[in-house]
Amino acid sequence: MHAEKVKHDFEPKIVAFVCTWCTYAGADLAGTSRMQYPSNVRVVKFPCTGRIDPVFILRAFQKGADGILVSGCHPGDCHYMAGNFHARRRFAAFRKLLEFVGVDLARLQFSWVSAAEGGKWVEVVTELTERIRAMGPLEEFKELELEECWSGKIDTPELQEAYKAIP
Amino acid sequence: MTNTAQKLDTIPLVDSGYWSSVTEAIRTEAERLLSSGEVTAVIGYRAGRRSGTALPAIATSPEQARELVFSPGCVNNLALYLTKAKKDVAKKGKVAIVAKGCDLKALAGLMGESQLKREELVIIGVACAGVYGASADRSLPLSEETIARKCRECTVHAPEGVDLTAGSVPALPQLSPEEAEELARLEAMTPRERWAFWTEHFSRCVRCMACRQVCPFCYCEQCYCDRNRPQGVETSPRPAGNTAWHIVRGMHLAGRCAGCAECERACPMDIPLNLLNRKMAQELKELYGHEAGIAPKEKGPLAEYREDDDQSFIK
Repeated sequence: MHAEKVKHDFEPKIVAFVCTWCTYAGADLAGTSRMQYPSNVRVVKFPCTGRIDPVFILRAFQKGADGILVSGCHPGDCHYMAGNFHARRRFAAFRKLLEFVGVDLARLQFSWVSAAEGGKWVEVVTELTERIRAMGPLEEFKELELEECWSGKIDTPELQEAYKAIP
Repeated sequence: MTNTAQKLDTIPLVDSGYWSSVTEAIRTEAERLLSSGEVTAVIGYRAGRRSGTALPAIATSPEQARELVFSPGCVNNLALYLTKAKKDVAKKGKVAIVAKGCDLKALAGLMGESQLKREELVIIGVACAGVYGASADRSLPLSEETIARKCRECTVHAPEGVDLTAGSVPALPQLSPEEAEELARLEAMTPRERWAFWTEHFSRCVRCMACRQVCPFCYCEQCYCDRNRPQGVETSPRPAGNTAWHIVRGMHLAGRCAGCAECERACPMDIPLNLLNRKMAQELKELYGHEAGIAPKEKGPLAEYREDDDQSFIK
């Protein structure tokens, strides 16, 4: 029954922020239909994509996620009428901001997965996991997280000059 | 740099008569408003103790109105004093406010967000030639060298939709758009270089929250970033929390920022914060055709939606 397990050197941590009405049900459907998808994904359930704050995404990156999936209802299907429309604009803006700060957007995936699309869920999760696996771990945020205190650079050219000037 | 170039740089942009005529216009109007009882207070500037400086001042009597000034040292965005964050000012009836073009944009933004009512406000618009930059030598007159970066690219020298315009815009030379050039330079970088650029800047941040205190749009009673249980953004000045704070700040101001660049001016660590705000303003203009202007808009771009918004990034 189980597909053969392949040993990988790097197992990425993927966090999926999903809406309870569509994508969570879709993921559930994938499970009850016994479809196989990577176990790297941790699903966090929200009432609506409109509830998913950009801060959650940042926090997940900082706390060790290598990739993030945000998924909810297709436009027009929102349980709360317009939650995903607002989320769509917010995330469009947030992506641009992250890109400007220098985060690789390939690590952040958005999708619409309805309650009937167990297959699409499997496809999205598998593709993201494989992509992140190929990219390797996200070091930038982890390095920041590890820096304990004020990290003013102490090896600037000016300082080097000053050091050299000391007789 | 040759001597001649240096001389050119420090040539005053406008003659001193301009400043005194604006000052006189503000004083006359403030005096009239206060003595007729039309307003209870005029929010403006008065001269600071050191030459070339000015501080925000609230005049409540015609005598105090005689002390109001306008000089290149009038850098503050006074719209701040009308927000929820400074509640005690607006409570006592109608007030008048002295507003430069960029402050006017902030006032319009606040009106759009139902924080202010136009009819409760008398706006004394200033035909502004520009103000000093954060690190400018205030003993020099306003010149290409001492002018603030935002003023180099100002599009609102002459205010619109105000009750009175103080002064008239003098002829100003075209200055090079330093900030736009810097933005273009950053955009041309690879993501890794940009990350290095910003982490270097953010790592200097001491989390004094001056950027939040001076922002007219940061009027929440409790900032999301101050909350713990659950904590969204780390509050100590560590690189991780600093990066998160500045990203969240950029996000919360996206589509709202009036571009007054007060955050950048107030920053003690010289972090180029307005670049983030400008970038977001530029993106939202591209995506949703929204631009901070002088006319109040009822809804910001992130508070409304269209069914056919772009979703090419969503699978």
